[in-house]
Amino acid sequence: MKDDPIALVLDDLLKLDDILACMVARRNMISVMPSGDGFKPEVKNMWDIIHRAMDDVFTVVGQYSGAGLGEMEFRLQDYEVLFYVFPDTESALVAIVSALANKGLLEVEMENARRDILKILDEQDKAKGIVVHA
Amino acid sequence: MIEPKFEASVGMSRKWDARDAGREVAETAIKNLSRPPDFFLLFSTIHFEKYGGFQEFLNGVWDVLPEGTPLVGGTVAGFITPQGSFTRGATALAVSYFDMDVAIGIGFKTKKNPQKAAKDCCKMIKKELKNSQYKNNLLFEIISGGKIPQFPGMGRRRVIKSGLVSKMATRLSGFSLKILQYGVGREEEILDSLANELPDYTIIGGSSIDNNNMKENFQFFGEDVYTNSIVALGLKTNQNVDINTTYGLKETGIKIKITKKSGHGRVIHEIDGRPALEGFLKKMSWPYDFIDERLYRKTFFTPFGFWKKDLLFPNVIGLILGKDINVGYKIEENELHLLSASGKSLINAVDENLEEFKDNENQLGIIIACAAQLEALGANIFTVREKLINFFDEVPFLLVYVGGEDTYSTKKGKRHINESFNVLTLSKDLPTNQVGKVI
Repeated sequence: MKDDPIALVLDDLLKLDDILACMVARRNMISVMPSGDGFKPEVKNMWDIIHRAMDDVFTVVGQYSGAGLGEMEFRLQDYEVLFYVFPDTESALVAIVSALANKGLLEVEMENARRDILKILDEQDKAKGIVVHA
Repeated sequence: MIEPKFEASVGMSRKWDARDAGREVAETAIKNLSRPPDFFLLFSTIHFEKYGGFQEFLNGVWDVLPEGTPLVGGTVAGFITPQGSFTRGATALAVSYFDMDVAIGIGFKTKKNPQKAAKDCCKMIKKELKNSQYKNNLLFEIISGGKIPQFPGMGRRRVIKSGLVSKMATRLSGFSLKILQYGVGREEEILDSLANELPDYTIIGGSSIDNNNMKENFQFFGEDVYTNSIVALGLKTNQNVDINTTYGLKETGIKIKITKKSGHGRVIHEIDGRPALEGFLKKMSWPYDFIDERLYRKTFFTPFGFWKKDLLFPNVIGLILGKDINVGYKIEENELHLLSASGKSLINAVDENLEEFKDNENQLGIIIACAAQLEALGANIFTVREKLINFFDEVPFLLVYVGGEDTYSTKKGKRHINESFNVLTLSKDLPTNQVGKVI
C-alpha cells in the first residue's frame, strides 16, 4: 500500500485541512486508502453511517457512470461526501469533508486528484499491455 | 547589437515542504530564460504555514534565484498557469527584458494607516524610477486582505447570531483593526492613495488571502515575509500596458436602499428602514435558516453592487454580526443593486474580457480574479484555464485568485471590487495599419 502511487495521491488530498477522509471505492469495496490512518479522528465516529450511505450512492454511480455521471455528493449531519466518478466505471474518488469547508477550493484539488489517478491507471494499463505483447 | 527580446516564464511547485517548494518554483520559473530575470512575482497558497513556514519557503526561492532580483508576491487562494489549475501549491512569474526599468516598494501597517503605507511604498518606487526614459508605466501590487477578527468566546466566525456578542464585536472592530490589525483590508483607501501618488501609471493588483477562511495572509518582499503590508512592483517600459475588467454578473432588478450604515460605509445597519439582516432576507425571499456559516456559498452568487458614474462596484457580504451586515469595502452609494452570477456567466466573462486583447501582439498575460469566483466555480476553473490556453497559446500567463481586485488607469478609472476578472497584458507596439486601430 505504501508504494501504491494512487495511495500517494490520496495522501496529498488528506493533508488538506478540510478533507477528513478520502479513498478510491466502489459499491461494497474500498479499493485504495491513503497510506497512513486514512481517517482524521473527527470522522471516525460517523464512519459506519456514512459508509452505508455511500454504498447506496454507488448503486446510482454504477447505473449512470456510463451515461456520463461525473460527480455526486450528499450531506449527512456536519459532513459532506463528494464522489468524483472515474468515467465508464463503477468506481469513484470519494472524500468526506466538513460541511462548512470552502468546497469550491476543495473541488479543484479533487479534480486534480481524479486526473492524477486516471493517469496512473492509464499508465498501469499500458504497462500491462507491454507485458502481454512481449 | 543585442535584440531586446522579451522573455517570460511561469514556474510552479506542488511539493509540501516549504523549502523544497521554494527551490522548485524558482528553478522551474527561470530555467526557460536565456538570462537572469529582471523581476520575479511569487505566489503561494496558505498551506506552507504548516509545512515549514513562509520564511523557509522564501529561503528556498533564494537558494536558486540570483541575488538582488526584485521580488514581490503573497499568499493567494489559488492559481491557474499553463501547467494546470490549483488551490494548493506555489507559482512564480519570471521576466527578462532589456527595455524596462524595475523597482519594488513596500508599506507597513496597512490596516492602521493605509494612506501612509501606500505613500511609503510609492516613494520607494518613484525614487528608483525617476530617471527612467520609458513612457509606459505599470504598478503591480499585493495588499494584505481582510482578516476576520477573533471574537471573545466565539473564535473566528463569519456569522454571529448573538445580538450581545455582535454588538460587542462591532464596538471592538475599530480597536481590532487599528491595534490588533485584524478586520477589513482598507484596500480601497490604499488604491486611492496609489492612484494619487502615481496618476500616470496603470495599476493592477489584489488582496492577499488564505484559503478563503480569511484568518491570515502574507506578503513577500525581497528576502522577507510580512503581513498587514502592501508590496508592489513598479515598471517603466516600451511595451504597451493594457488592462480590462469583466464580471459575469447581471442585475436582478432588485434594489436595496441602505437607510443606516457606519464603519466608514462598511457596516450596514438598516435596509429599507428595517434591521439590515431582516431587510436583506425579505428582499431575497430567503428564510432565516439560511443564515449560517454556509451562507457564503449562496451570497458569492448574489453580491451587492453600486454604480459610480458608469462603473459597477460589486461587493460581497463579509460578516453577519447580529442584525448587521459587514461588506468587503466601503459602500459609496445608498442604493444597492442585487447582482447575480451563474457558473456559465462567470466563465463567459473570461471570453468577454480576452476579446479586448485579440488584436494585440501579447507578450505576457497577468490575470487577477476574485477568490469568490473560485469558490463559486470550483472545478469549473479548469474550463477557465482551457480558455486562457486557447487565447494565449505560447504566450506565458498567470492567473491568481485574490480576496479583492484593484485596477486603475487614466482611461478606465479606479476600482477596488469583488467578483471580477481582470486581465493585464504587455504587448508590442503594432503599426496602426496592422490592426486598423490604435488600442
